Amino acid sequence: MTNQKIQRLEGKRCLVTGGSRGLGFAICKAFVQAGAKIAFTFSRNKEDAEEARARLSEMGAEPIVIQGSVADSSHVEKTVAELVTKWGGLDVLVNNAGITHMLPIALLEEADWDAVMDVNVKGAYLFSRAALKPMIRARSGNILSIGSFASERIVEAPVHYAASKSALRGFTEALAREVGRYNVKVNVLSPGLLDAGFSQSLPQHRLNEYLTQSSMGRLGTVEEIADMAAFLVSDDNSFMTGAKVVADGGL
Amino acid sequence: MQSQAEAVERLINHTISLCKVCKNAIPAQVVALPNNEVWMRKACGAHGTQDVRLSNNVEWYEQTRAIQPKRVPPKVVQKAVEHGCPFDCGPCESHTQKVRLPVVTITSACNLDCPICYVHNKNDNAFHMGVEDFKKILGHLQSDHGGELDIVNFTGGEPTVHPHFLDFLALAKEAGIHRVTICSNGIRLAKDESLVQRIAELGGRVALSFDTFEKDADYQLQGANLLAIKMRCLELLEKHNVDTTLIPVMTRGVNDHEIGKIIDLALGMRNIRHLEIHTITFTGQSGVTFSRSGRISMYEVLQQIEQTTNGLLRPDDFVPSPCAHPLCYQIAYLLVDPDGGRPIPFSRFLPREAIYDSLSDRLYLEPTPKLENAMREAIDRLWVDGGEDAERTLRLLKQLLLQMFPVDGTVSREAALQAGEQAVKAIYVHSHMDEETFDTERAVECCDSNCYSDGTTIPVCNYNVLYREKEEHFNLQPVAWNARKGGQKDFPIPVVSR
Repeated sequence: MTNQKIQRLEGKRCLVTGGSRGLGFAICKAFVQAGAKIAFTFSRNKEDAEEARARLSEMGAEPIVIQGSVADSSHVEKTVAELVTKWGGLDVLVNNAGITHMLPIALLEEADWDAVMDVNVKGAYLFSRAALKPMIRARSGNILSIGSFASERIVEAPVHYAASKSALRGFTEALAREVGRYNVKVNVLSPGLLDAGFSQSLPQHRLNEYLTQSSMGRLGTVEEIADMAAFLVSDDNSFMTGAKVVADGGL
Repeated sequence: MQSQAEAVERLINHTISLCKVCKNAIPAQVVALPNNEVWMRKACGAHGTQDVRLSNNVEWYEQTRAIQPKRVPPKVVQKAVEHGCPFDCGPCESHTQKVRLPVVTITSACNLDCPICYVHNKNDNAFHMGVEDFKKILGHLQSDHGGELDIVNFTGGEPTVHPHFLDFLALAKEAGIHRVTICSNGIRLAKDESLVQRIAELGGRVALSFDTFEKDADYQLQGANLLAIKMRCLELLEKHNVDTTLIPVMTRGVNDHEIGKIIDLALGMRNIRHLEIHTITFTGQSGVTFSRSGRISMYEVLQQIEQTTNGLLRPDDFVPSPCAHPLCYQIAYLLVDPDGGRPIPFSRFLPREAIYDSLSDRLYLEPTPKLENAMREAIDRLWVDGGEDAERTLRLLKQLLLQMFPVDGTVSREAALQAGEQAVKAIYVHSHMDEETFDTERAVECCDSNCYSDGTTIPVCNYNVLYREKEEHFNLQPVAWNARKGGQKDFPIPVVSR
C-alpha cells in the first residue's frame, strides 16, 4: 500500500488550505506518503502548525507553511505566487479550510453568516482562481474541495455551514465544466462525521443519532478520507471531474 | 373576628409518621390551618399528641405535593414488605424510586462535633470502610444501574479522615462515574493543599458545608469558628479548579438571613457549580442538642432566598425534582453572565414544565436531547416574541454555545460539558425529614440512599432517623429495634436483621 501511495503523487506539487490539524493535516500526511511535495496554510494556531511541520518533516518532506486567512485575497495571491516561484508550478489544490458555528438560526447573526461564507466559499473561490493560472498554463491540475454531509437533508446542521457546503458543490460543477478543456479536474469530496473535528465535542446522543443512520455504524477516520483525497487528485483519477464523492459510511 | 369556617382546620391528607419518642409508626394527619400554615398532627399511645409545622404556605404545599414524580422503581428489590414503610428498607418492594444519588458512608470518624449534625459520629474505635467493601458497593451500583450511574457521594463522619478515601475516589472514576462528590467540612482540605491538588487530579468534586459568615452563628451551628478555614478551603478549591458544591444548613433565626450572601459567594466563584441548601433536620446530634425553634420549612427558605437576593430568585423559579417526592427537592438553575450582569434563572426563559421534564432522568441537568430541545424552543421563542431580558439571554446563550463548540477548533466532549457547567449554577433546596416530620409518603419516593456492600440501599432519611443508630459501626451503644405499629395494624415486630 505504501508503495502505491508513493507512486500515486510522486513529484506532485500540492497545497492544502487549513492543513495544520484534523482532516487537513491527515491529507498532508497522505500526500507526503504518496510522494508529494507539500505546502499548507493555517489561520491562527502557530503551535499546531509548527507541530504539523515537524511531523511532516519527520516523514522526509520539506513542508512550506504559510499563515493567513483564505478569505484574504492578498494572502491567497502571495501564497500561490510563492509556491510557483519555489516549485515552478502547482499541480494540486485542496480547499480544506472551513469553519462553522454550532448555532440555531435564531442566534445566527449576519457577521456569523459572512464569516462562514468568507472562509468556506469565498476562500475556495479565491484559492481556486489563483491556482488555476499555473494549472491552465501547464494544461494540467487538480482542485479538490472538502464538502460535508451537512449539505444534505440527513442530519441537522447549522444553516450557514450547510449552505456553504452546498455552494461548494455548485462551484465545483460549474468550474469543472469551465476548465475541463485544460485538463484541470475539479471535484468535491464529502465526508461523513469523522473521528476528529466536530464529532469530538458533540453530545453523545447526537453522535448516537448519527451512528444509527450510518450503514457502517461507525465514524469515519481522517486517514480514510485523506487516502480518498490522494486518489482523487492523482493521475489515477483520469476521468472524474465535476463530481461529488461521498464517503460517509452509507448514510 | 374570625368566622367559624375560617377557624376550622382542613384535612389535606392522612399519612404514616413516627412517634418522636419511641419512633413507632403512627397515623398522622396533615392539615391546613386558617393562618395559612400546614401542620402534621399525630398521637402515640404511649407518648401523647405531637404536632409539627410543615409549611407556612398551604397553597404552595398543596400545589407542590400534587405533582406526581415519575415512578422508576429499583431494578433490584432486597426486601419483601413485612412491617411497612420505613421498616423494610433494602429497598423493599413498595419503594417507587431507584437510587439516583448513591451515598456511601465511608467512615464514622469526624474532626468536628457540630450541634447541627444530623448524624452521630464515633471517633473511638472508628469505622473506616474497607476497599473491598467499597468495590462491592460499586459493583452493586453498576449492575443495578447499568451505564446510567453518573454520581456517587462519599459521606461520614468526615470522609477526608478516611485513610483511603482518595483510593475510593480513583476507583469510582475508573468505574466511569462522572460526578464523584466528597462531603466535607473542609478542615483537612484547608490545611493540606496537596490533598486538594490530588482531588483535582482525580477529577473529584467537593461538597463543602458552609453555613454562615457570622461568628456567633458559626459557633451555634458548628460548635467552632470555622469561617477562616472554610474560606481558605474555598481558595484552594478554586485555585485547583475543583468542582465544588456549597452546602449550607438553613436554621431559622440563626443563619437564614445570610442565604443571599452565601448565594453571592457561590455565584462569584467559577468552580462552584451548585448550592445545596438543606433545611435543618433534628436527627443525630441536632436532634439532641439543637433548639426546635430553628426548624424552617422549604417554602420559608424559598422566601428568604427571594428576600435576601433582592428578587434574583423567586419561589416560582424553583421546580421539584421529578426523581423524588416533590416536597423533598426544589431546584433552580441560573445562567451566569460572564460580563458581571445578574444571572438569569432558567425559568425566566424556559417553561417550568420543560425544566422539570429535563430533570426527569437525573438529579442534575445534563445535555440530554430533552434539554437540547427545550433550549432550542426557548431560543426561538425569545427571538420571535422577545420578553423579559430576551436580548441579554440570547447573547448569553450564544456565548455559551460558542464556548462549548468553538469556531476555530474543537474541544473534547468532556471540555464542552465543563464549559456548559461553568456557565450555569444550580441551587437545590433539600428538605430532609426527622422523626417529627417523618412522612412515609415522602420516604417511599426517596431517590437518595445509603449503600451497603451486600447491595442493600436505605433511603437517607430512613437511615438517619432509624437505621444508623442501630449500627455498631457508628455507635458505641447501638439502639435496638423495638416493637412498633406499622400502618394501621397492631403487630409485634422483633429485631429486624439486616
